[in-house]
Amino acid sequence: MTAHVLPPAPAVQRPRVLVVGTAFAAAASFMVFVGLIGIYLAARADVIASGTAWLPKGVTVPLQQPNTMFITLIMSVFTMQWAVAAIAKNDRVNAYLAMGLTLMLGIATIVMTTYLWYLMKLDIASGIQGVLIYTITGAHIVMLVVAMIFVALMGLRALGGQFTARQHDGITAAAVFWYAMVAVYALIWISIYVTK
Amino acid sequence: MALTDTRPETGTDASAVAPSVVPSPLTIFGTGDHKAVGTFYVLAALVFGIAGWVAAALSLGHEVGSNSFLSGSTAMQLGQTSNLGLILLVIVPLFLGLGTYIVPLQVGASTVAFPRAAAAAMWTWLLSSGVFIVASFIDGGFGGSRDKSVSLTLMALAGLIVALLLGTVCVLTTAVTLRTPGMTLDRVPMFTFSMLVGGAIWLLTLPVLLANLLLIWVDHRYSGGTIFGAAAIQFDQVSWITHEPQIYAFLIPGLGVVADVIATLTGARLGQRNILLLAIGAFGVLSVGAWAQPAIYPSVSDDLVWQAMGVLMLLPTLLLVGGVAKAFKDGKPSLKSPLGLAVVSLLLTLLAVLAGALLAITPLELRVSGLFATGQFVLVIAAALSAAAAGIGYWGPKMTGGHSADGLGKLNVLVLLGGGALGGLSLCVVGFSHRFTGLDGAHDALVVVSMIGCALLALGGALALLGLLSGARKGAPEAAADAWGTGQTLEWACSSPPPTGNFGDLAVVRSPEPLLDEEA
Repeated sequence: MTAHVLPPAPAVQRPRVLVVGTAFAAAASFMVFVGLIGIYLAARADVIASGTAWLPKGVTVPLQQPNTMFITLIMSVFTMQWAVAAIAKNDRVNAYLAMGLTLMLGIATIVMTTYLWYLMKLDIASGIQGVLIYTITGAHIVMLVVAMIFVALMGLRALGGQFTARQHDGITAAAVFWYAMVAVYALIWISIYVTK
Repeated sequence: MALTDTRPETGTDASAVAPSVVPSPLTIFGTGDHKAVGTFYVLAALVFGIAGWVAAALSLGHEVGSNSFLSGSTAMQLGQTSNLGLILLVIVPLFLGLGTYIVPLQVGASTVAFPRAAAAAMWTWLLSSGVFIVASFIDGGFGGSRDKSVSLTLMALAGLIVALLLGTVCVLTTAVTLRTPGMTLDRVPMFTFSMLVGGAIWLLTLPVLLANLLLIWVDHRYSGGTIFGAAAIQFDQVSWITHEPQIYAFLIPGLGVVADVIATLTGARLGQRNILLLAIGAFGVLSVGAWAQPAIYPSVSDDLVWQAMGVLMLLPTLLLVGGVAKAFKDGKPSLKSPLGLAVVSLLLTLLAVLAGALLAITPLELRVSGLFATGQFVLVIAAALSAAAAGIGYWGPKMTGGHSADGLGKLNVLVLLGGGALGGLSLCVVGFSHRFTGLDGAHDALVVVSMIGCALLALGGALALLGLLSGARKGAPEAAADAWGTGQTLEWACSSPPPTGNFGDLAVVRSPEPLLDEEA
C-alpha cells in the first residue's frame, strides 16, 4: 500500500502591514530630527563664523551623561532585539523580561536627560542655543515616550496571547520604532553633545 | 483591537448596502471604511478650496493701487494663510482622499491598511483645519499680534501635518503590502505609483516643516519670540513649501491621475510604461525641497543644485507629456470631461515647470519682485486642482454609483483652464516688469486679471463639488462596474460603488492592465 502524500501547503501570505507602516512612521519621525539638527548645525556655524563661542558663558554641556545615555540606549537595542528573538521562538518569559528591561532602560534615559538639563544650567530664553537644544532634546524625549508606550502596548498584547512564533509583527514593529529612536539619539549625541 | 491593527480581511458581501456619497452622520463618525473616509476628505477639501482661492484673490487686491481695502498686515496674513491652506487644506487632502478611496481598489485590497488610523487622521485633519481657519481670522496668522492666537495657529498646523502624515502612511502601506497576487510594483496603476512617490516625498519633507513649526512655537511660547518666533520672520521659515522645488511635491499624485484618465478614456495601453514610471520617480526626486529654506540658507537661489533642479524638472515633465500624448495617437479619445480636465492639468503643469525653469535662471532676475514666484505657485496649484477635478470626474461614478452631469465637467474644463492661465500667467508677466518698463503701467490691470483667475479657480472647485454631488442625486444615470467601458485597472472590476470588502476572488494579475487581459 502506498502512502498518500499531501502536497505541501502553500506559503502563507502574511503581509507585514504593521511593520511596514511603522517603518514609514519611523522614517517620518526621523526626518523631524533631521530638520531640527540641520537648523541647529546651520545656526551654530553662523554663530561660530561671527567669532563668538557657541555656548553662552556659564553654560557647560558635560559629556559623561550623554555618553551614559548612549550606552544605555545601545543596551536597549540589544534587549529589544532579545524580545523579538524570544517571541519568534515562542519563549514568552524571555520576551516579557526583555521588554521590561527595555522599558526600564527607557526610563533611565528620561531621568538622565532631565539631570543633564539641570547640570547644563541653560535658560531656554537665553538665546538661540536654549531654544534649539531644549526643542531637540525635548522632542527626543517625546519620541522615546511614544516608543515606550508602543513597547508596553505590545507587551500587554503579548500577555494577552496575541503574538506567537508565527505572528509577532507587533513586537517587531515596536522594535523598528525603538531602533529609529536610538538612531535619532545617535544623531543628537554627535551633533549636540560631542561637537559643541 | 488596537488602533494599529488592520481590520481582518472581509469577503465581498453583495447584499451589503454600498455607501452613499454623503454618508449619514452615524456612518461618518463611526466608520473606518476607506470609501467613506476618502469621500469625506474630498468633499471637505473642495469646500476649503473655494474659500482658499477667494482668500488668495482678496490678498492679491493689496497689490492693486495704493488704497487697498485691506491693511498691509491683514493682506499679508491672508495671503500666507491662503497659500498654506491651498496646500495643506486643499491639494494634499484631495489627493489623500482619492488615494484613501481608490488605492485599495486599484491594488485589489479589501480595505486600506490601518482603517481606524486612516479615520483618525481624517478627523484630526478636519479638526485642525477648523482651528487653523478660526485662529487665522482672530489675528493669529504668521506675524499676528495676538500671542495666543498665533500659538493656536502653530499647533493647528502641527496637527494638520501629523494627520496628513498618518493618512499618507495608511495609503503607502496599502500600496506596499496589500497588493493582490501578481501585482508587482511595476504593474501598479499609475495613480497608485504616483501616490507612492508623492507620499514618500511628503513623508520625507513635511516632518521638516513640523520641525520648523516646533522651533517657532517653542521660541514664541517660552523664549519671548525673538529668534524663530519673531513676528517678521515666522512665515519665512515655512515659506519653502510654497516655492520650488518643494511645491512640485504636491503635484506628483496628479501626474498619476492624468495618466490613468488618459489611458482609460483613449482606450489605449500606455506605451513605454516603465519610462513613465521613471519620469514620475524623477519628478519626485527633483521636488525634494526641505533643504532649500531661504530663512536658514539665504543664498539658496544662487545654489547650483537648486537651479539645476528647477531646470531639470522639464525633462520628466516632457517625458510624461510625450508618453500620454502617444496614448491619444494609439487610442480613440472619448470626449468626456475628465479627459479634458486631465489635458488642462498637463498643460498647466508644463507651464508651471517652464516658469520654474525660468525662475531658476539667475540672469533673468525673475526673483526680484516675488510676483513671478507667486504666479508659478498659482500655476502649480491650479494644475494640481485640475488633476484632482479630473480624478473626481473619472472616479466619481465609482464613488457615487451614478454618472455626473458631463456638461458641468465640460464647463469646468474651460473654467479651470481660464483660471489657471489668468491667475498664474498674468503674475508671471508682472514678474518681468523690472526688465520691460512698458509693463509698469499694466501692473494693476495684470494683478486684477490674476484675481479674476483665482476667482475662476474657486468656481472650478465648486463645479467639481457639484459634479460629484450630481452623480449621487436621485435619477442620475446608474454607473456600471466599468463605468467608462474601457477600464483597465482593478477598481473597474468591482461594482459602483463598491460593496463592503470591495472584491470577491481576483485572478492573478499578469500585466499593468488586468482588465484588458481579461477581455483578450
